[in-house]
Amino acid sequence: MLTEAGSDLTVAPQASKERRAAARARPFRRVLPYLEIGALAVALILPLALGDRTDLVTLATNILILSMLAISFDLCWGLAGIMSFGQALFFGVSGYVIALVGRDLDFSELWATLPLAMLVGLALSGLFAAFLLLGRKTPSIIFVAFGTLTGSYAAERLVSGWQYVGAGNGLSSVKLLKLGAYEFVEGDAFYFLALGLLLLVYLGARFFKQSQLGLVLAGMRQNEERLAFLGYRVQLFKALLFSFAGMVAGLGGALYSYHQGFIGPGNMGPGLSTTAVVYCLLGGSGTLIGPILGTAVVEGLSYALSDIAAIRHIWPVVLGLVLLLVVMFQPRGIVGLFVSDRERIGAYGRRRRAG
Amino acid sequence: MGDEVKLAFDLLAFISVMVLIVLGLGIIASMMGIFNFAHGEFVLLGAYTVYLFQSSGWSGWAGILAAPVVLAVVGLVLERLVIRRFYAAPIIAMLGTYAIGLIIRETVRALLGGQYQSIDEPLSGVFTLLGFNFSVWRCVIVLTTICIIAATWLFLARTSLGLQVRGALENPNLARACGISTSKLYAMTFAFGAALAGLAGALIVPLYQLSADIGTRFLVQAFLSVMLGGVGTFEGPVLGAAAVGGMAAGLPWIVIPVLADPLVFVIALAIVKFRPQGFITQGRL
Repeated sequence: MLTEAGSDLTVAPQASKERRAAARARPFRRVLPYLEIGALAVALILPLALGDRTDLVTLATNILILSMLAISFDLCWGLAGIMSFGQALFFGVSGYVIALVGRDLDFSELWATLPLAMLVGLALSGLFAAFLLLGRKTPSIIFVAFGTLTGSYAAERLVSGWQYVGAGNGLSSVKLLKLGAYEFVEGDAFYFLALGLLLLVYLGARFFKQSQLGLVLAGMRQNEERLAFLGYRVQLFKALLFSFAGMVAGLGGALYSYHQGFIGPGNMGPGLSTTAVVYCLLGGSGTLIGPILGTAVVEGLSYALSDIAAIRHIWPVVLGLVLLLVVMFQPRGIVGLFVSDRERIGAYGRRRRAG
Repeated sequence: MGDEVKLAFDLLAFISVMVLIVLGLGIIASMMGIFNFAHGEFVLLGAYTVYLFQSSGWSGWAGILAAPVVLAVVGLVLERLVIRRFYAAPIIAMLGTYAIGLIIRETVRALLGGQYQSIDEPLSGVFTLLGFNFSVWRCVIVLTTICIIAATWLFLARTSLGLQVRGALENPNLARACGISTSKLYAMTFAFGAALAGLAGALIVPLYQLSADIGTRFLVQAFLSVMLGGVGTFEGPVLGAAAVGGMAAGLPWIVIPVLADPLVFVIALAIVKFRPQGFITQGRL
């Protein structure tokens, strides 16, 4: 039976007893670290393996960048239990800011623009969090979901009618990302830059997840009222995580803008936001590595199948079907197939010695 | 003077369209706690039914009559197969219905080949009253909306089935204990909501060209209307739709159109933020 995302701990009592007995029977083995190391190893040797297939390197870079968006959504939904239908908003707005800074100020130094993008994402998501989450009355989960959806929809409409930012055509020929005299063009260098940043983001998110803060978040997903009753300011924690997620999305958006050389209204609308949802749920929400796998699967398949005209036309239908099937039958995603619930939810602090 | 009358009539017509769309959404949300993201696509399917009828040589009226029936069947099937798994989890329901909507929308887009199709108004032309011109078809929409609101209200407030619906809304457990099959009621409610969406789509498609995105443009506004009016009431969503529809049609006269659209959302969200229970408080259906 389906449960709300966060409430990964709530299974029917009977079932959970059986499952617990089963879990006790077989030794507990951690799978996630192997997945993480495997993914990192694949990512490191990929450019060497691909050699001169530059289109595939571009695709891989794209996957890394979109993974940031997916992780950003996972932080909201998988960790904090906030359904954000507008995560692309922070992605897109940062991308636009970067493109405008490049166009109007003729400036694209890495050490300044990427922090700027993160700041934009942080500030914008902080504003949204303050409006949607904080306040005297506890907002309903539906209100937050619609608030984010509306924000991203409104932003898309606003931008597509605003001449200064290129209206419906978006901004193309964004300046290349620079470090001193070196310019990052599509290719291996950009790939490793994106990989390094994704690694940083991943480690940061992992730290969040496994710290005491992560424990509070897990408790919130389980029973928000009880946590509030214990004295935790639940909404403040949510707002904090939402802002962090916005910062991650902002970084992703800036890289996307530099890498594609283009940013358009579609990059901040509900369309991309829900694609992020698909990435995350398909891969397995709440695991952090899951969203990256999901992004790789979706984008990889979409690229591989785009040569076949018949499939290219119905690709969105396929995505919809995948989302529906995942939501109905495998809410734990791909990662959930071989990672136990116990590990998916995680352990906090130091592990106790067996005995 | 002429401008004011024209503006008032435009507002009224747009509000009617919004109310038609929101009514089904609001009923489903109130009854089942499910915010149906596929509602816009139900509207689209209603419009598409009219297009199918017209392109195979039938009159537009046949399509308009058929659309609610088709959508009721679609709604019933979807409820049986998919939606009923989601009752326990409203957020998961959003994702599930979004997926359904995506599937329908992209299928129709592929069928239409990305083209815009214009549909003729079954009653075209204008009539003149007191020196002002009114579009006949818009009047039909306004009148139909009024009839449907009245009929729905009479059904809910005056029939025994309506009493069961209200009972199931008030307290599903008690309703079940009284021998009311809430699962059957939910299926019927969903079908009814879908049928209303289909009718709305069929009626509005002559005003807007038929494209795959015809439903999406109303969806966000429709959701805000429901939240603005208050979930769990009958009058709430209608009032909310009137407010949002009025703002959406009226604001472009006051501020520049680019800003009008986002402004509607901001105002509506701000109202919901500070009055989350909606215009009408719960439990008065």
